[in-house]
Amino acid sequence: KSVMNPKRCAACRYLRRRCPKDCVFSPFFPPNNPEKFACVHRIYGAGNVSKMLQQLPVQTRAEAVESLCFEATCRIEDPVYGCVGMISLLQTQIQKTERLLARTQAEITVSQIKHSQNQHSEFM
Amino acid sequence: MSGGGNTIPSVGGAGCGGGGGSSSGGGGSSGGGGGPCGACKFLRRKCVPGCIFAPYFDSEQGSAYFAAVHKVFGASNVSKLLLHIPVHRRADAVVTICYEAQARIRDPIYGCVAHIFALQQQVVNLQAEVSYLQSHLASLELPQPQTRPPPITQPQPLFFTPPPPLSITDLPASVSPYDLATIVDPPTSWATQQRRFVDPRNQYGGSSSSSSAAVGLGGGNSDLQALAHELLHRQGSPPPAATDGSPSRSMSR
Repeated sequence: KSVMNPKRCAACRYLRRRCPKDCVFSPFFPPNNPEKFACVHRIYGAGNVSKMLQQLPVQTRAEAVESLCFEATCRIEDPVYGCVGMISLLQTQIQKTERLLARTQAEITVSQIKHSQNQHSEFM
Repeated sequence: MSGGGNTIPSVGGAGCGGGGGSSSGGGGSSGGGGGPCGACKFLRRKCVPGCIFAPYFDSEQGSAYFAAVHKVFGASNVSKLLLHIPVHRRADAVVTICYEAQARIRDPIYGCVAHIFALQQQVVNLQAEVSYLQSHLASLELPQPQTRPPPITQPQPLFFTPPPPLSITDLPASVSPYDLATIVDPPTSWATQQRRFVDPRNQYGGSSSSSSAAVGLGGGNSDLQALAHELLHRQGSPPPAATDGSPSRSMSR
């Protein structure tokens, strides 16, 4: 038998269970986004997510869910590196930007020297 | 990743870096006769020959690392994940999984995403600085010399083209192995910061197309093995064993 309760959260619908009033998942997994829970469940498992959330203060759980979803999505897209791949990309970008910064600073220094030399020669 | 057993890195103290005693065909880790691997030791189950975890979790400190992985992901989930990864890439996967697990235990709200936030912020700050300096450079090269740099409030980059937004699809097709050691040296400040979560990929175009194939792992992964060793030891002593009671029996026989 299937109990079609449109008010079940996405997690309870996925898990095919009743959605209690105090369901730990329901504030964060609305029924209109089943993919979100599927993603998190695939990587962490519903039990682990539930445990993690229950150990957190209520006001921090939304952020935790979003970060878990992000990590889970990254891991599904890149099973080997997960979101560590993005860390690597960012570090590469930082290195490139630092080099550009150094080059720009050097160009400014050169330009300032030229400017002061021009001023000096004009004065003379 | 080398397919030979001699160079498979295992997570933990003695076995890491491929040079430890536990890495020779998994002798010290697998259930061949050298005792259970770190994972099976933690799970208190028999470590069978061919145990999927044995090459990566040695029997000494591997248990502590596996405890973190099990607490966050669950042994069966990690097992399923590894089964879908080619053998030669599993070591890298284990390293990154361990990293994410430890980061999540240290920061239960943001996990390693906090590190991503910090790096993003660093990128933004650097780009702003470059924009500012480039506009100053442009002003220096104008016919009317200006001795004061323009105000920083509205930088107008003239020459600097911001790099295109990053997304997961930007991972190059063939790259040298990720320098995992340099990746995971997070600044201490981010661990205690709380910030409104914005999906980092929104900053980078938000593309979610599958691109795992684009993440090429170049050859010569012996460097990566050494870096994997450094990665896990850079975070200090192995994580304390999970204290959530007896380990899961789900995979017990």
